[in-house]
Parts: sequence; C-alpha cells; structure tokens
Amino acid sequence: MSVLTRPWNRLTLAGKIILPALLLLVLLTVLLLVGWLTGIIPGLLDIGAQIVNDNIDIVRFVLAVTAILLFTVPTAFVIIFMELKIIAFINSRIGPNRTGPWGTLASVFAGFKVLAKEDFTPTGADAPVFTLAPIVTYLAVVLGLLVIPFAPGLVGLDMNIGLLYFFAVSGLSVVGLMMGGWSSFNKYSLLGGLRAAAQVISYELPLLLAPVGVIMLAGTLSLNQIVMNQAGWFWDWYVFQQPLAFIVFFIAATAEGNRTPFDLTEADSEIVAGFATEYSGMRFGFFFFAEYVNVFILSALTVVLFFGGWNAPIDPRPILDFLHISFSPAVDLAGMGIWLLWTLVIGIPIVVLVLGLIVWMLKSSWSFLKSLVVGFVLFNVLAVAIVGIWAFLSFEVVVGLFWFTAKVFTFAFIFVWMRGTLPRVRIDQLMSFAWKWLIEIALLNIFVTAGAILLVQELQRR
Amino acid sequence: MSTFGKVPGYGLAMGMVHSLVRFFQPKVTVQYPEEVQEISPHHRGRLLLLYDEAGNLKCETCFQCAAACPIEIIDMGGVDTKNRYHVHWGPPEQYAERREESALRRSGRNVPDRVFNAWLPIDLGPLERILVANDYDPRRLLAILEATQAEYGHLPVAAIQHISHATGAWYSEIYGIATSYPNLAFEPGKVAEIGLCRCTTCTVLGGGRIRDALVDVLGTDVGGVTMDGAVRFVAVECGGDNGGEPLVTLDGQPQPGMTADKARTLAESLRAGAARAGTA
Repeated sequence: MSVLTRPWNRLTLAGKIILPALLLLVLLTVLLLVGWLTGIIPGLLDIGAQIVNDNIDIVRFVLAVTAILLFTVPTAFVIIFMELKIIAFINSRIGPNRTGPWGTLASVFAGFKVLAKEDFTPTGADAPVFTLAPIVTYLAVVLGLLVIPFAPGLVGLDMNIGLLYFFAVSGLSVVGLMMGGWSSFNKYSLLGGLRAAAQVISYELPLLLAPVGVIMLAGTLSLNQIVMNQAGWFWDWYVFQQPLAFIVFFIAATAEGNRTPFDLTEADSEIVAGFATEYSGMRFGFFFFAEYVNVFILSALTVVLFFGGWNAPIDPRPILDFLHISFSPAVDLAGMGIWLLWTLVIGIPIVVLVLGLIVWMLKSSWSFLKSLVVGFVLFNVLAVAIVGIWAFLSFEVVVGLFWFTAKVFTFAFIFVWMRGTLPRVRIDQLMSFAWKWLIEIALLNIFVTAGAILLVQELQRR
Repeated sequence: MSTFGKVPGYGLAMGMVHSLVRFFQPKVTVQYPEEVQEISPHHRGRLLLLYDEAGNLKCETCFQCAAACPIEIIDMGGVDTKNRYHVHWGPPEQYAERREESALRRSGRNVPDRVFNAWLPIDLGPLERILVANDYDPRRLLAILEATQAEYGHLPVAAIQHISHATGAWYSEIYGIATSYPNLAFEPGKVAEIGLCRCTTCTVLGGGRIRDALVDVLGTDVGGVTMDGAVRFVAVECGGDNGGEPLVTLDGQPQPGMTADKARTLAESLRAGAARAGTA
C-alpha cells in the first residue's frame, strides 16, 4: 500500500483536493466523449426531456418549491440581522458590528453555530413527533410563500384560490407548534404549545375575516389578480378603501406570526422559550427560521392585499411624457461587434486603474497595490449599481421586485420596531382583544363593504 | 396629552414615536478595545488582596484602607498574617460611627473623639429619673430619648451608652432609632435661652400671659428645653428692676416692650431658625 500512501501523504492540502478533482474531471470527460460517440447520452437526454415534458406541472411545482425553499434562508438571515440591528439601535446600542461589514454576517454565523450544535432529544420525549414538529412548522411557512407574487410573472404558483390556500397552509404551522409542545415532555413546552394553539386559532378568525372586504372589492382570491387590481397610483391601493380591514389584518398578522406584543407562545421571560424549550441544534434553528420567514410572509401578504404588491406607488410615465423625457436603455450587445470585446478587455482595466489612482491620490499612505484592490472593489460596486439601474429601467420584473421588496421590508421593519417598543400583553387580554374587538370590527367591515358595493352598483345601474 | 390622551392607541403611538426617535439618536456604546473612555479619578477598579512571591497575603491588617476608603465599601475581617488572631475592623454596631469619622476626616472637619466624649462627665441623675419613669423598658426608647433630649438639649454619647446599659438595647439600635427622628440631635447645637422673671410684680404686669404663650409655643415649662433642642426656657430674676413691664431675656439680654404676642413670635422664629434643612 505504501506505493500509493507515500506520495499521497507528501501532497499538501491543496494538492489533496486538486489531484482527485483533476482525475475526476479526466474520467468524466472520457465518459462523456465515449457516451456521446456511442449515442447513449443523447438518447438519455431525449428520454429525460420527454419525462419533463410529460410532467411539466410537477416539475414546475418542484422547481418553485425548491426556489422558494432556497429563497427563505437568506431572507431569514436578513430579517434576523435587521432585528438584531434595529432593536440595538432602538436601545441606543450599536448592535452586531464584528462579523462582516456592519455585522451583516452575524446572523449567518449564528445559523452556522446552530448547525454545529448538538441535536438533542430529551428523555421521555416522543421522538418522531419531536423531530417532525419543526419540519411541519417550517414547511407550512414555506408553502405559504408559494402563492405570493413577487413581481409581474414572478410567482411560485398562480392559484385562483391563492388566498384560501395561503390561510389553509399557514394555519398548519400551529400544528407543528402543538406537536413540539406536546412531544417535548416539558411543562413549559406544553404550556407554550397550548398557548400557541389558543392564540393562533383565535387570531385566525380576524385574519381571515379582515381580507374578505378586499376579496369582495377584487372579486377574486388570486393574489396575483388582487395585485393587478391595485395598479396605478398609490391611492388605488386597497388600504385606502379598506383602512379598518388593514388595521385588523395587521394586528391579527402580528399575533399570527407570534411577534411582540403577542409573542406569548415563546414568552422567554415567562415560560422559558415556550414550545421551543427542549429544542436545540438545527431543529431549534428551523423554528427560529420559521418565525422570521413568517415575518417576511406576513409583511408580503399585507403588502399584496393592501399596499399594491409589486405596483410602484407612482406612475412615472405621465410625468416623463409631460416633461418630454424619453429614455430607452436598451443595449444592442450583438450590434457592438468587436467593440464589445475591446470594452471588456481594455475598458475594465482602465476604469479599475483610474479608480485605483484616485484612491491612491486620496490615501497616499497606502501602497499602490492596496489602492488598486480598493479600486477594483469600487469598480465592482459601480458596475453592480449601473447594471442594477439598467435592469430597473429595462425590465418590468426588476421594477416590480424592487417595489415589492422595499414595501415588504418596510413592514418587516415595522414588525421589528414594534418588537423593540411594545411590552407583551397578558393572555386574557390577548384573547379578549381577539374575540371582543377584532372579530366584531372585521365583521362590521364586511357588512359596510358589502353595503357600499351594493350602493355603487345600484347607482351605476341608474 | 390632555386632548388626545383618551384616544385608544395614543399611548402605543407615542411609544412607537419614542423608540423611533431613539433609533435615530446617536448611540452610547463605546467600542472598548479600540476606544477607551475617560475614567473618573475616583475610580479604583476592582479591589484585590495581593499575595507576595511566597504566596502569603501581603495585607498587614492595618485597617488604614478601610478608614481611608472614599466610598466606604471596604470592610475587613478574618485572621491576621500569622494566623493567630481573629481581626476585624470593629464591632458591626460601630461601623456607622467609624465611617462617619472617616468621612469627617476626609472633609477636613474636626473629628469628635467619641471615646473621650463618652466619658465626658454628664449628670446621670435626670437620665436615671427618666429611665425609672419609663420602667427601663427598651420598647419605650423613643419616649426615653425625647425626654433625654429635653433634659440635656442633645443626646450625649454617655447618655446613649447609659441608656444602652440600663435597658439592654444595643447602642447601634438606639443610635439608629435616634437618627430616624429629625428632632433628636447628637451634637450640642446653639441653644437659645429665653428667660422669664417669675416674681410677683412681673407676673402681675403680664408675665403670666407671656409664660402661657411661651409654654404653648415651646411645649415646655420654665426649666425645660424644647423637643428640637433649639430653645431653653429658664427663670431669671429681675430683682425689682423691671421698669414697669415683665422682664424677658434672650440669651441674657433684656427684651423691653415684650407682650404675649411678641413673645410668641420670638419663640416661633427661634424654633424655625433652628430647624435643620430637609428634615420636615
């Protein structure tokens, strides 16, 4: 064996990685060539394409769910970072500022930490249920995200019963909380789980009743259609026709997402961490992630139902027409021919060099190489900004995504802001508020809206 | 506030506004290793007992640190360096006095020698009478102390010690009770002395009414001291030389033209002037 082990041991770490990778590359190339020449690979590809074509709906669904699932992770990281930073600012602190620029990687490293922790199941716990609980919670949240329209044409699944689907699926998350609370074999967990059940079931009612006015106005349950109905200027948004519904919905959404001041489910100062007391490692991480993805989703739903979704608040076209400004940012890359190559090969180094020189002139104590590196970073920032502006001007999807993200993160900010301000309510106050006020207001809103719609129809008929 | 205070959600909105204002305010965090705050000259950091190379405690139990401690947090106790004697700064009931002493010393004022003061000869006869009247009962401490103050004008250390010995109450307990009452004084303050002649002539000329007024204001009859120790009410002799009006003296000086109302005003102003600030 020493014939193989001795040269292997002499390799450096990089060599130990690169050498097998090279061998693998050679092997794959040979296999590909042989397969191509013998006609096996084209045949397999044809069969694969056939299967995909036959099951295009399933493939679309799987792709959408995967994309959404992947999307939730950075979203949760961003919102966790927002929470750390905003609450710190409200407390007159600086907050995370050590990992990454302005501490932006703090939540990511917290995620890694959670991954590295021991995944512990307490004695006496109902292990299968205990393991399934975070999965159920997380999946319920992710599946709810599937019907949210992010931009024109950018929606996981454009269902005609989108809103109903959303409420049905996101209501499942309480099952996960209950499972976690019940299976943990811990009184705090059980209390937290029961509180979660009581709270979410109570607040599900106003949460469902509040958008009924919007549904009556829009005449559809499709979230995409609801967004398109709100196109135009910002006064076309439903929040101005349904302010009461918006208030009820927002309060109920806060309770539904178990956010302060309605975070009685985890109430860390009362019942340790509620249903999540016994959880550790990535199973706790899933609960934690679900909470923050939930913040994103509830903000997104608020934006979709009441704040025009991906519609811009102002319509710039009449203004631009009035000012006789026309701007066509379309770039004909193919028509540039050889000049495109010259731009890429010579233009970029020249811009980097110029930026580096400017930095060097301003910071003469630095070495030129350091200035050049900073110039390169600046060039990248500049390029991303220019490409972003070009994309914003050229593609409707980018515009929609921009406005949608801006609005959603405004609401995420409000959620975090509320968490930084308001104290937790008592459980009986929570319950009586839902049953005595929110549901009544939501019902009143439905009747008033229905009456107004009838009135308008009657007036239009005459 | 008064206009919108009753509107539901007003408090919530104000809270949100407050936290938003905080959000934009400058932050108070100091990035410690990079940035070092200016430290107060009083700052002494964490107190540590040092050990020499052989591992022996360097403290000599001289108690100077405890006496000099500017914020009076050092308390000492334990075994001396040779492990022979149990040492302590002093009995716990005297901590307050010792700290008071160190505070006086730091502020540059005279430190009363309480050990000496304790042996200042005071006449224990009246105190003994007071104690007998109160049956040597430590539960009537306040009555005893007030009577003592009325008798001596303040509470001398010797008197408190005698009360402690006679009643069995701790010195610190008596001291603590006495400190709670603003009218009880430990220092002999400046005692004003109102004198009134009680001869027949002066009484006939209006001395009786003046005496009634003074008793009313001072709360004590001739020969006593007011409760706050501000005024002593004594008898003087006019010797027939009263000039047609009752003789009233203030610190030995005759006060001509005295009437009952004037005497009342005088006594009230004396008591008000002796009142210590902040002790209502």
